[in-house]
Amino acid sequence: MAAQVTGFRPSSFLEAQTSRLRELSEGKKALAAISGGVDSTISALLARQALGERVIPVLIDTGFMREDEPEKVRDKLASPPLELKIRIVRSAGRFLKAVADEPLAEEKRKKFREIFYQVLKEEADKFGCEYLVQGTIAPDWIETQGGIKTQHNVLEQVGINPHTRYGFKLLEPLSELYKDQVRSLAKYLAVPNEFSERQPFPGPGLLVRCIGEVKKSKLETLKRATSIVEDRLGAVGSNQYFAAIIENKFADEPSPKTLRKVAADALDLPEEEVRAEAFLDRVTGVKGDERSYGRLASIALRNETREAFGWLHDKLNILQSSVVESFKEITRVAMLVKDRRGEGQYSILIRAVSTRDYMTASVTPISWKTLKDTAEDVLKSSERIGRVYYDITPKPPATIEFE
Amino acid sequence: MTVVPVVYTKGQYNHLIARTLQDLGAESKLLPAGTSVAQLKALKADALVMGGGPQRVRSIADLTPELSSAAQLIKEVELPLLCICVTHQLMATVYGGVTGAAPKPEFGPVKISVAEEDTILRGTGPSFTAWESHNDEVVKVPQGFRVLASSENCSIQAMRHEKQNLFGVQFHPEVSHTTRGTDVFKNFLQSVRK
Repeated sequence: MAAQVTGFRPSSFLEAQTSRLRELSEGKKALAAISGGVDSTISALLARQALGERVIPVLIDTGFMREDEPEKVRDKLASPPLELKIRIVRSAGRFLKAVADEPLAEEKRKKFREIFYQVLKEEADKFGCEYLVQGTIAPDWIETQGGIKTQHNVLEQVGINPHTRYGFKLLEPLSELYKDQVRSLAKYLAVPNEFSERQPFPGPGLLVRCIGEVKKSKLETLKRATSIVEDRLGAVGSNQYFAAIIENKFADEPSPKTLRKVAADALDLPEEEVRAEAFLDRVTGVKGDERSYGRLASIALRNETREAFGWLHDKLNILQSSVVESFKEITRVAMLVKDRRGEGQYSILIRAVSTRDYMTASVTPISWKTLKDTAEDVLKSSERIGRVYYDITPKPPATIEFE
Repeated sequence: MTVVPVVYTKGQYNHLIARTLQDLGAESKLLPAGTSVAQLKALKADALVMGGGPQRVRSIADLTPELSSAAQLIKEVELPLLCICVTHQLMATVYGGVTGAAPKPEFGPVKISVAEEDTILRGTGPSFTAWESHNDEVVKVPQGFRVLASSENCSIQAMRHEKQNLFGVQFHPEVSHTTRGTDVFKNFLQSVRK
């Protein structure tokens, strides 16, 4: 897919936004929330260009970032050519406490959002900032306003007044743009590739990849698996690739038998070649422009069949669409790559998608060997992991993240 | 510059429609569903696009407020009009057709078979891959309209009015995964410029 951005001109956008930011901020100070992703980094750089030293950049360490991520981001931003000095606000304990024992995706996201802005309010007060600069882009507010999922960085667009609630006003210079447009802006600003091309990482981070209830050990297991999957899949040319974790508990409905029949029919295989069940913890999808918080189907083929099947993408697509169309409560389908005897407590789900603007996404075709090697490494990383899957659902009917 | 606003009906891809039109050199932005014909005139609109949304169109008497306003606009507007997904169903229903539950809903990639390469589908035949996300569909095309394309699960994927520049598509030409999506908008703009 060629990125076509003829309607968007970085130079005129930059000019318009810097003068808009200057005007809006009325000479006051602004806190800039940075995660290290391209959206928040570019927003902060735009703000610095417009407001100069009046911008105070901070990174909140939520505890849900990847291994050593806050420090890596701080060090890279501080070095040339960007030389953006950020402070890390350590808040992992508060976030973990707020979401403890909460299994529902939207509740987790809303609790995260509340702590996120509480911490930002404290920082803004500390430095006398009357404004907050954040990297909200179009899909963030579209998905939140549409009730698909609550993005952590959307307030005004869903009727929350940041000024009365948190004491600051918002500056969102990128709110009308899509990711590919932000990337072209980053290139225009000569931002190094490791920022401009960095794959998206959600604000709530591993919290929304830890499906269902968050536990410390579950989070630690996911952190290790994430490093392995990112490392192994970095070269496959996917726009976003990551791991998620889910407990090996299964629902009674839809019954494994009916699920198996639909799956076997779709694949043109005898039923005894197929094992099917639905995970108990729910996952987020979008069907007909509506949020669908449903089940994740697990499909496993017999060992030899799995190998011979060769990961034919057309077949896998027929499989996922048959399952999702046949069962209203199923929003996503995952194929087993590898498991081990003596069932661990968790499954790791590998997700890799190809997309221009993250509004629709297709599953990245990954070779069977790469998937198998990745799964073997993941299984080796923790005894708690019993199975490794590949999510074969496009967006729609899935979303890119699981919660 | 051709001015083609987009009516915001709360669909995930409405904003992408405006972006696609901008990329093609038109002036475009989202307008609320309650926008009046007089306001469109004041904006010097040359054409209008309506997007998708999560609502149901089962009868004209039972519509959400924004679809009810959109229905009014469909009746009154005299500009070339392209309606996508739920507003395609709405246009069909407003003109006397029928919308109902799809026997097989479609999500993600779908093969569109082009029956007639008329206006908006010019150069897209014999088939292309489009992305969809719908539980309902047009089950009966209104009088005065004809069907331009279909898919395996849905027989009315695109339609047009016999005499006026009124078009409806069930699929989403505005998402980048629809292979000939940009062509649909290019063709629509072409018919406006004439």
